Amino acid sequence: MTLNQALSICRNRTKGDTSSPYFLACGCQPLHLGTLLEAHLFQKLADDGIGVSTGHYVDLPGSLELASGSNCVGAFVLVEWSDLDPRLGLRSSGGWSPASITDILGTCAERCARMADSLQRLSGRMPVVVVPPGLPHAPIGTTISAQASQVEMELESCLTGFLLRLSRLPGVRVLARSALAAVGSSAPRLDAKMELLAGFPYTIPYADALVEAAVGLMVQQTPKKGLITDMDDTFWSGIVGEVGIDKVSWDQSSHTQAHGLYQQMLGHLADMGVLLGVASKNEQSVVESALARPDLYLKAESLFPVRANWGPKSKSVAEILKIWNIDQTAAVFIDDSPMELSEVQAAFPGITCIQFKGKDANGVWELLGRLRDLFGKPQVGAEDLLRRASIQAAEQIRDAGDSASSPEFLRGLAGCVTIEYAKDPSDRRSVELVNKTNQFNLNGLRIGEGEWLRMLEKPETVLSVVSYTDKFGPLGKIAVAVGTRSEGTVNLSHWVMSCRAFSRRIEHHTLASLFETWDAEEIAFDFAPTAKNQPLQDFLSSLGLTGDDSGKYRISRAEFFARSGELPHSVSHP
Amino acid sequence: MSHLQERLAACFAGVFPDIQPDEVPRASTASLAAWDSVAHVTLLSAVSEEFGVEFEMEDYEDLVSYALILDCLEGKLA
Repeated sequence: MTLNQALSICRNRTKGDTSSPYFLACGCQPLHLGTLLEAHLFQKLADDGIGVSTGHYVDLPGSLELASGSNCVGAFVLVEWSDLDPRLGLRSSGGWSPASITDILGTCAERCARMADSLQRLSGRMPVVVVPPGLPHAPIGTTISAQASQVEMELESCLTGFLLRLSRLPGVRVLARSALAAVGSSAPRLDAKMELLAGFPYTIPYADALVEAAVGLMVQQTPKKGLITDMDDTFWSGIVGEVGIDKVSWDQSSHTQAHGLYQQMLGHLADMGVLLGVASKNEQSVVESALARPDLYLKAESLFPVRANWGPKSKSVAEILKIWNIDQTAAVFIDDSPMELSEVQAAFPGITCIQFKGKDANGVWELLGRLRDLFGKPQVGAEDLLRRASIQAAEQIRDAGDSASSPEFLRGLAGCVTIEYAKDPSDRRSVELVNKTNQFNLNGLRIGEGEWLRMLEKPETVLSVVSYTDKFGPLGKIAVAVGTRSEGTVNLSHWVMSCRAFSRRIEHHTLASLFETWDAEEIAFDFAPTAKNQPLQDFLSSLGLTGDDSGKYRISRAEFFARSGELPHSVSHP
Repeated sequence: MSHLQERLAACFAGVFPDIQPDEVPRASTASLAAWDSVAHVTLLSAVSEEFGVEFEMEDYEDLVSYALILDCLEGKLA
């Protein structure tokens, strides 16, 4: 994007009230960064409420404090070497004597520690993207530039320690320095003339590339949830039904390490909570025997379900998606056969189909990187790691058929519902649930992390976070209800529940708890139908609810307890 | 209005969204309140990008009106 294009976007875009303000904190004059940031955010979000606030010139620590006190919904923090010590930039005249260099190192360490503290506070109020230095520092090494000097290594070490600390903060996303190296790689970065003239050190193409990368970190695509893999010549090399279980391979000595790498990547994804399934044209028993080999690079139980048969792959994929209860757009299908990929893609246009080319080592390496980007997320939570086990438990409940909804069966689960009302801003799982749940979702409304944190700060906000466990194991945090409380009414603006928790009457327990905890006489719902929230609609219908004149759905305490039926689980409120 | 003038006027419109088209030819740092130091750098950066020309340090001090910028551009592009 050029500066003129950014100016044009900012001039022509519709502007409403600034309901989604972002903070840009940098030590330089923000100048074009602010324009480019507003334009890129608007392009990405198409939100009329976007605005960009900036801090103080040459005072990045002060700007961070300003951001912490703001009502922004996200912050972009650009750090350059001159923010760690001005003598590392162009506008200082402090000199680079040996004594100064010692002092510079001390100042850098002190500023990094101070800024890390500020960023910790800031990230408790809004999501933060941190962009590490991309411009060169002053040429203070005593070596030629191709030889790393001790002082440069000291500076790098200080910076790495700072970024490491930030990467451990839940609300902070640090732009990887490897990604930064690729940002606008062909364009010059430093505009020394503009830095000396106006305090703006970046060339416009580099500033644009930097901002685009930072916005990409703030507004990340929804990660995929599940990967369905082929077996023969994909998961392993060889056709297992022809060569036998012991002859398929995935190791360096057989020159089939590309498949071993793929297996390791699948194991890594499983450890992140990604669902892995198998769709193979084989005999089920043969595949299961091969998956029992002890030299697999991932645990065989990570693969669930395994569908091996001679029918169309799309049929197996359909079964797997149904068991996972995820939309096709949340899945990736990998196979070595273009024909199979084409058949699945035709049946599921929304699925991401990728060909595995075992003979193309570079291609496999690129595939692993692509899988990281498809499934990566800012933070892996405890619930991610429970997903596969809870789906297997749900499958057991489904196997129970009609009896699964009987009071006896539900009582037999020995379920325990835990409902927390503390508004914990560090709990990112709740907003994640709101933003990724489609089926049991009150209205489909999404909410940004920053807006979420602003909402929690309001005293009238009620947040109900529901966890569940039963004899099949824990499901973790699986439901969230958010609303406001006023004069005996709890008004729910958001209410979601993971599909893994269906059929257990947890939604009934949630409402009962809201009535009792807040001594409410009525619960009102900001319900809106969506293409996917039929389960929520069915629930409201089961309680006999319809919209009133204002479109709101309401239920009184007496109506709810008369219609809710048995509440089968024990409930705790920590 | 020549093509060059139209492109220059578009740069002004980008940096000063509230300026009326008939005000552009008479615009200067003295006549336009929004033309502050930040807008000045933004404007000359936008013009530089649009026309592929470089402004020297002293240009930033001298080019304080539409007419002066137009004149400078005509010289650079001649």
